[in-house]
Amino acid sequence: MKKILVSTALLAGVLSYAGGFRVSLQGVKQLAMAHTSAHAEDASVAFFNPAGMSFIPSKLSIVAGGFGASNKVTFQNLNTLQSTETDNPLGTPLYAAVAYRPIENLSVGFSFTTPFGSTIQWPSDWEGREMVQKLELKSFYFQPMVSVKLAPWVSFGASYIYAKGKVDWDKAVTQFGGELNIKDEKASGSGYGFGFYFRPDPKLDISIAYRSPIDMKAKNGTATFKFPSASVYPLLGLDPSTGQDKFTATLPLVEEYTVGLTYKVTPKWLVSADFNYHGWERYSKLTLDFATAPVATGNPADPTVLVSPKNFRNSKTFRLGTQYAFTDMIFGRLGAYYDESPYTDDHFIPETPSFNTYVITGGLGFKLKQFGVDIAGGYALPQARDVRNTTLGFNGQAKAKAFYFGLGLSYNPF
Amino acid sequence: MKKIIISTLAVSALLFTTSCETDFDTDVKDVQVTKGDADFSKYISLGNSLTSGYRDGALYSSGQSESYPSIIAAQMQLAGGGAFKQPLMPNDVGGFIGLPGFPGKLTLQVTASGSLGPVASSPAAALDNVTAGGPYQNMGVPGAKSFHLVAPGYGSAANLAIGAANPYFVRFATSATTSVLQDAMAQKPTFFSLWIGNNDVLSYATNGGTNSQTVGGVTTYTVATVQTNNVNPTTYKSNDISDPNLVAGSIKAVLDGLKSVGTTKGVIGNIPYVTSIPFFTTVPYNPLTPTTLGANLATLNASLYGPLKQALTAFGAGDRINLLSSTSANPVLIKDVALTDLSAQLTAALTPSLGPLTAAAFGQIFGQARQAKSDDYILLTSSSLIGTPAPGAPAPVNVYGISYPLQNQHVLTKTEASYVKTAVDAYNTSIKSLADSYGLAFVDGNAKMVELNGNSGISFDGVKYTAKFVTGGAFSLDGVHLTGRGYAVIANEFIKSINMKYKSTLPQVDPNKYSGIKFP
Repeated sequence: MKKILVSTALLAGVLSYAGGFRVSLQGVKQLAMAHTSAHAEDASVAFFNPAGMSFIPSKLSIVAGGFGASNKVTFQNLNTLQSTETDNPLGTPLYAAVAYRPIENLSVGFSFTTPFGSTIQWPSDWEGREMVQKLELKSFYFQPMVSVKLAPWVSFGASYIYAKGKVDWDKAVTQFGGELNIKDEKASGSGYGFGFYFRPDPKLDISIAYRSPIDMKAKNGTATFKFPSASVYPLLGLDPSTGQDKFTATLPLVEEYTVGLTYKVTPKWLVSADFNYHGWERYSKLTLDFATAPVATGNPADPTVLVSPKNFRNSKTFRLGTQYAFTDMIFGRLGAYYDESPYTDDHFIPETPSFNTYVITGGLGFKLKQFGVDIAGGYALPQARDVRNTTLGFNGQAKAKAFYFGLGLSYNPF
Repeated sequence: MKKIIISTLAVSALLFTTSCETDFDTDVKDVQVTKGDADFSKYISLGNSLTSGYRDGALYSSGQSESYPSIIAAQMQLAGGGAFKQPLMPNDVGGFIGLPGFPGKLTLQVTASGSLGPVASSPAAALDNVTAGGPYQNMGVPGAKSFHLVAPGYGSAANLAIGAANPYFVRFATSATTSVLQDAMAQKPTFFSLWIGNNDVLSYATNGGTNSQTVGGVTTYTVATVQTNNVNPTTYKSNDISDPNLVAGSIKAVLDGLKSVGTTKGVIGNIPYVTSIPFFTTVPYNPLTPTTLGANLATLNASLYGPLKQALTAFGAGDRINLLSSTSANPVLIKDVALTDLSAQLTAALTPSLGPLTAAAFGQIFGQARQAKSDDYILLTSSSLIGTPAPGAPAPVNVYGISYPLQNQHVLTKTEASYVKTAVDAYNTSIKSLADSYGLAFVDGNAKMVELNGNSGISFDGVKYTAKFVTGGAFSLDGVHLTGRGYAVIANEFIKSINMKYKSTLPQVDPNKYSGIKFP
């Protein structure tokens, strides 16, 4: 058993391309148990449910962790027999949180996470270059929060979310034989989260949480066109020397509903299960509003407004995890989850490739007095799928491989 | 509880391992391209300019390298296809020095007014002869009509002067007496493609239903004939619409000729409605906005449109002209030879007020004039004429489209367009039935062109192609022929039909890889 756990943990790697560009890597201990949420052992519960802070055993808890996420997507075109693989850099989601209980029934905390983001890098001359060559999305969530114990067995917590983000998108403009870069490093938005955490029985934890959508607004983006000759720039309303134009856009980071529970089967063994519901339907289209460039030839009414249909749909995730305490100091963890792709085959887009994905996770935890060290790994089994996006004329099949690994630290001084 | 949890975990683990289909059923890297029932070892393409790779108003070397037959041949080479040689032009500009009517290619340039427009180049070389480098597998001859493929002497240099030969075939014909078909038969092809018949209507359409004759620098235009019950092409003028029976007979002769040398497998395409191409659809029928007309609008109504309408109304033809609107776009004036000629009546009516000389001029100019309607096609080449003075016409009734009608050769009227459509429908009926009776693969080129011309166009990997001039990406700068990407779209249609008929598995191509419009 131990060997299996260790080897699973060492299968580092992954991807997170399952649900759109949501990256479910906000707790190393949690990932080891399928990223389930009802674990109020330390401050890492903060992101999952602010109300969980009230059940952290120590008054002060500090956690931090990081992941490596690796993935590769392959697209093949059955008509032309072209096959393309991405060359994505290793993703590095991070998190840190602190929770403090100054008086008996009140906890305050702060959480920093990177819950949305991805970098997808296709070869610059691949067949889908008109849609994407490289897309880098990043988000940083800063969440001050508070939790109140309403009764010994239930708490309520809420958080404010300030989000910063970055988008950097390279794509070809085939008709002009050139390229376009869309960039904004100062997108921002805000939202909130709240939840209830129940412990009706010492053996049972129940976590119910909601995190609101956040509209990331890029207000001062720069679009840079690179054409073989600059003589076309003035005709497109671009800066004649740089080929640049300004744009605004809004990218929705979607809401998430979570219900989770943890049951202590024996004092040494616990099992957890989670259900998430993600509001991807909000991502129905992406609108780029250029200042002057009339690039949207398909929109004669206002050719400076480029609308790309996305047609995402709401998606669900099912998680199942378990932990076994070998000793007071050593914990073994395992988990598995199923994450639904937020779109159907006819809306597959290569800039955020998504698959129905099974993920197997595992990890180990070590506790030394107030200090804790956790490692975790996940191996994803994204389901190969057909691609039939007739709007884009993008047809074929896609598959992916992904793995993740993480290292987390916790400090619970008193 | 413990048991339940354990069994739940076990079931989950089982589901996990059984439902995982993470890999492709078939990886394209392992796909073997096969020829099916066909033999592509010697593929020959027959046709006209579209087959030759003609684009931007000329045949030039880099365009030829993206002709649809050469694209198909490259895919056939994955399944035992042989070499495919094309009679390449000696340069990348095209045209023939010393032969009138054969300029070099059009290029997109920023004009004085700051907008982009196609500009013709000077031809780059005199007519050469590349017969020695043959035989050639791409036998597409720009300008060829259906009956030209079976015409002996079509490649005779001596026949050029009398208009019975084609310089593009003169370049690679094996003798002065041969025909395109004979040269093809001599190669004993194992597979052929045939796409012919476009020019049997196209030159009629692009010339607005006229023939022209230039004598001593003066060009005169006559109404071209819609030939029916006449299968003798020597009696045709160059822009007449060919008798459908002649087209069908010529295509049948080509198929019979090939069959006689054992070539029975091939693919044949039908003819697109020419009016779906940018040459006809780019210039609106009503480009005269109140802003462009400005103060002239009132003057024109008072001194020309008003009196004309009044006079025409008296002869029961008041619907030919309406007063210019100051709120919406106005149509151009055109001459429609299908209208009853009212010049004598107009002259008589206007003589009292204008005097006999001016009245006669008015009568002559406006006797068959009317405003264009949405089903008239203003030719792409007429775009630059609108608003400019017509040579020889008396001011102020001398501004093309505004106070002087665009002439018959500038417009394909509704009536003329209907002749074109009738002919194309007849050709296509024959082509389909020949394809069936000879057991050939069939390409519905017409349907593809209609799809391209539709609102949503045709998209490949996020790039949208439409039949819009320049920005649509599929049509080259002449508004008639395709770009490399457009030809690739056509090549894919041929490939699909070939695969379907002969059970081969030739892969299609990625149109985005080929060249489009070149911006300056």
